Amino acid sequence: MKRLTQTLDPRTKLLLALFFATGIVGMDGLKGLSGAYGVLLILIGGIGRIRAYGRWLRLVLPMSIFFGAVVWWTADLDAAGFAALKLLALASVFFVFFTTTAPEDMANALVKIGLPYPVAFVLSTALQFVPVMGRKVKNVMDAQRARGIPLEPGWAALRHYPAFLSPVLIQAFQLAEDLAEAMEARGFGLSGRTFMSDYRMRGLDWALVAAGMAVLAVMGLE
Amino acid sequence: MFLSTRALRYSYRKQDPRWVLDRIDLSVRPDEYLLICGASGSGKSTLCRAFNGLIPHFFNGELRGDVEVAGVNTRSQSVADLFRRVGLVFQNPETQLFNHSVHQEIAFGLESLGLDRKEISRRVAESADRIGIARLLPKNPHTLSGGEQQLVAIAAILALRADLLVMDEPYANLDPKNIHRVRAALQTIHGQGIGVVLCEHRLPVTVPDVQRMVVLQRGQVVCDGPPAQLLQADMQPFGLELPLAAAVGRQLGLSPLPLTVESLRAAAPKGVFPEDTRPAAVQPLSENAPCVMRVENVSFEMQGEAILSDVSFSLRKGECLAVVGANGAGKTVLLKHLNGLYRPTRGRVEILGADTRHRKVSQLARLVGVAFQNPNDQFFKLNVKEEILVGARALNCYDESWIQELIGLFHLEPLLDRAPFRLSGGEKKRVAFAAALSARPAILALDEPTAGQGWYFKRALASLLTRLREMGQSVLMVTHDLAFAEQTAHRWLLLARGRVVACGRPWQVMADTGAMALANLEPTDAFRIWSKESKPQEPETEGG
Repeated sequence: MKRLTQTLDPRTKLLLALFFATGIVGMDGLKGLSGAYGVLLILIGGIGRIRAYGRWLRLVLPMSIFFGAVVWWTADLDAAGFAALKLLALASVFFVFFTTTAPEDMANALVKIGLPYPVAFVLSTALQFVPVMGRKVKNVMDAQRARGIPLEPGWAALRHYPAFLSPVLIQAFQLAEDLAEAMEARGFGLSGRTFMSDYRMRGLDWALVAAGMAVLAVMGLE
Repeated sequence: MFLSTRALRYSYRKQDPRWVLDRIDLSVRPDEYLLICGASGSGKSTLCRAFNGLIPHFFNGELRGDVEVAGVNTRSQSVADLFRRVGLVFQNPETQLFNHSVHQEIAFGLESLGLDRKEISRRVAESADRIGIARLLPKNPHTLSGGEQQLVAIAAILALRADLLVMDEPYANLDPKNIHRVRAALQTIHGQGIGVVLCEHRLPVTVPDVQRMVVLQRGQVVCDGPPAQLLQADMQPFGLELPLAAAVGRQLGLSPLPLTVESLRAAAPKGVFPEDTRPAAVQPLSENAPCVMRVENVSFEMQGEAILSDVSFSLRKGECLAVVGANGAGKTVLLKHLNGLYRPTRGRVEILGADTRHRKVSQLARLVGVAFQNPNDQFFKLNVKEEILVGARALNCYDESWIQELIGLFHLEPLLDRAPFRLSGGEKKRVAFAAALSARPAILALDEPTAGQGWYFKRALASLLTRLREMGQSVLMVTHDLAFAEQTAHRWLLLARGRVVACGRPWQVMADTGAMALANLEPTDAFRIWSKESKPQEPETEGG
């Protein structure tokens, strides 16, 4: 399975993810939805990312439960469970997509579809720097808490937002500036750029895309 | 000449120019290994940018005079033309690595050049092989150690087959082992016929490698020549510290001047060295100083991984304790246990009798003042005065006379109205240290206080720490700068992979060769020159 996700063209993966997501959005029975979620879990197991998925769930599960609670308040418990599961399944589709597709692959695939290179590059680089910024945020929190500023999550932290926001933003700007300089020094923006990775839709890619479309069409007819 | 400058002047602002580079005439041969050194603010980084065309093409300041690369003026070549001839590796690895894998990182510049796939693959493999990082190719650059990141950045430039490699302070954030790795890589590259220009302020790790050194001061070239010749003169007026071996060799009147401890020992076979060049150590603390902090059998795990294992030690009033170890040994994590940012998984930390497990971070902040490595993480006020007061106000213990004392102690008077973000690196550190002391905590904790700092700063900080010791201030300092810790700390706590492998007076710890090897550290030059227990250095093996 892992080998398969590596050989597929990123465009195929993107399309399949979109098909899957469309299918989930269009579902109106709990049985179908549970089935779809089951397929996702098998996929995640197949690519060996169950543990990472567990960590990721800690973030997403509270969100879907909150969403469910809101629905419960406006409708009933059945609808709430269905809505929460739908959100969870939808988010999981993109978990699978992003764990099997490197940001650059995605960006390069988008370039192949016709997106200008600088735009695609900014997209993938932004993703790349999410963990870097995450570390910065943690460092700033630690430095300010060590000075007695209560930045622990909660209402009190809101009162002290400048202590948190200014160091993070100023350093983010600095990071962007340094990054731009480093990219310039490596020839970013030169015309006639080539790509090391070869993106080609093979037979298997076309077959999977066709199968995905067929499943969607059948679902639409029902 | 491959690269030359003529009356080069540069200012980052166009109006009312302040010359960062001031009439520089310099030529670099294509196969040279050149060191450009100078105190911080002397213009090293700016000169690097002028070499590869970022000045004038990326920075829009005022440029006068000329820079020529291979006979062509950089004004008439774009960065795109220049980057394949003069490759620049920046100081901060975090911002110059922006791809998902090392492989892609090295390929990026080649893709810019529009090479075909086969050629890109060939050059990526070749470049990685040349400096021995082939096994890193599939990894994400952001998960590597600082030294490995520096090597990746070098490989990315090498792949372009640049004629000259310019390195801007490559050793700034590295621990001794990683410095050694990058040094070895640069020597290999130079051996293969590529010119290397190294911009650094630390002479001990650079002068033994280079053929020629140029000293910059306030944007001007003040000396130029072979190191063994230039170091006969005093380097302190330029804010540079002579390697200890050279200082001793000069006193002994040795010629040629030895630049390493090995060559000093070889040149003075009797092994008797004058004691007055030897850096003074801190006198031991009186036996009856009371204990202010006790760390008992602390273990700490993060995501199932043991970061600290069974760490125990104590800190006494007026004591300066240095926690030393390589990057990744768990030093900063240990420091964050002092004020409750981390709580031990097992064991306990007690500050003045208070168990950190039962106190909030804000309560502990009154007892322990911390200055982290990067002062930019904490600055948010408009001027320095306000910035210093933040802690005192947040903790409700504002004391004007103490603040005035701090301002005097850290020489902050001229900076009080300036914006903290606009200060130089050393000034920022001073403000951060003063801010950490503003609530008059019993313990001052410093995280890598000398990282990236020059000789002026280190000397000032050392005398400051002496003053604090005299005032009875307890200090815990986390560092891999052993030469600094040797001169400022009463005791060392040596950490290796989260365990205490030795603890005691600095020279006692360094004499424990087994523990030092475990910690991936080498003894200081002073220890290797004067200690009876120091044996001649064995040839080093490359760390994996």
